[in-house]
Amino acid sequence: MQDSDKRLRDQVRQGWVGIGDAGPSFETTWQAAQQRHAAGRRLYRRVAGAAAVVAAVVIAVYGQPPAAESYIEVADLLESTYWTAPSDALLPDRQFDIYQDMPVIFESTEPAGGALL
Amino acid sequence: MRDSDALDNNPHISRSALEAIHSQVYGWALSRCDFDHATAEDLMQQAYVELLSGNARFDNKSTLRTFVFSVVQNLARSRFRRVSSRLRLVKKYHREAIVQSVETAEPLADDGVWRAVRALPARQRDIIELVFCRELTIEQASAVMGVTTGTGRVHYDRAKKALRERLQEWAEEE
Repeated sequence: MQDSDKRLRDQVRQGWVGIGDAGPSFETTWQAAQQRHAAGRRLYRRVAGAAAVVAAVVIAVYGQPPAAESYIEVADLLESTYWTAPSDALLPDRQFDIYQDMPVIFESTEPAGGALL
Repeated sequence: MRDSDALDNNPHISRSALEAIHSQVYGWALSRCDFDHATAEDLMQQAYVELLSGNARFDNKSTLRTFVFSVVQNLARSRFRRVSSRLRLVKKYHREAIVQSVETAEPLADDGVWRAVRALPARQRDIIELVFCRELTIEQASAVMGVTTGTGRVHYDRAKKALRERLQEWAEEE
């Protein structure tokens, strides 16, 4: 450091001495800081606890797992149901089946000279 | 190696080391808040809370004093920003309150050379205080101020030049 710098530095430091650094002792400040730190941690724990409770409630209310899908056996379904066509009501009581009891045609279908035999 | 009184969340800082630099850090905190003792004490407590909680973690990359000075500087800056934004709000809606808050500020020491230091721009004033009064190197002072060493040197040189000129003017006036 140059001489002129040293002179300037000494001048500034002389002025600084008047202002001084006297303040509370380390012990006082340190204890107050520890109390603030402890209070901050308590607050953090409370906020975290409250957030956990809220999260648990939200999950309990809205987070229910979907109901398991149930399958129906085809055999059970068939046994449990009976289907009839609406037109069955039109059939005669004896359940005549026009297709089973096709009438026999006695005439020949062979053509002979433009007419059936 | 861990000191017996090392902090739980900051193993490289011991309580005794903090106690050794306490008065210097307090002086720095005091100058950060316009020499208001109540604010400086609050700032100190806040800085110690940051160290206790491990939010400000010391990793031995600098000296402890430089590190704690930086913590105080950053806390003071964020406090200043908060206060400024509140003041802007108050100014916007209630002009008289500003006048009152300015008037209640504690009168400051107004001694010759130091008056010249106080008249310097903030960065120049800071580096002069750190280098001349707190005996930090320019590198350390720049780290505390959050600027590069090159920028710190520029502020330092300009501050010295401005101080010399001002002291010269006052000497001629007298």
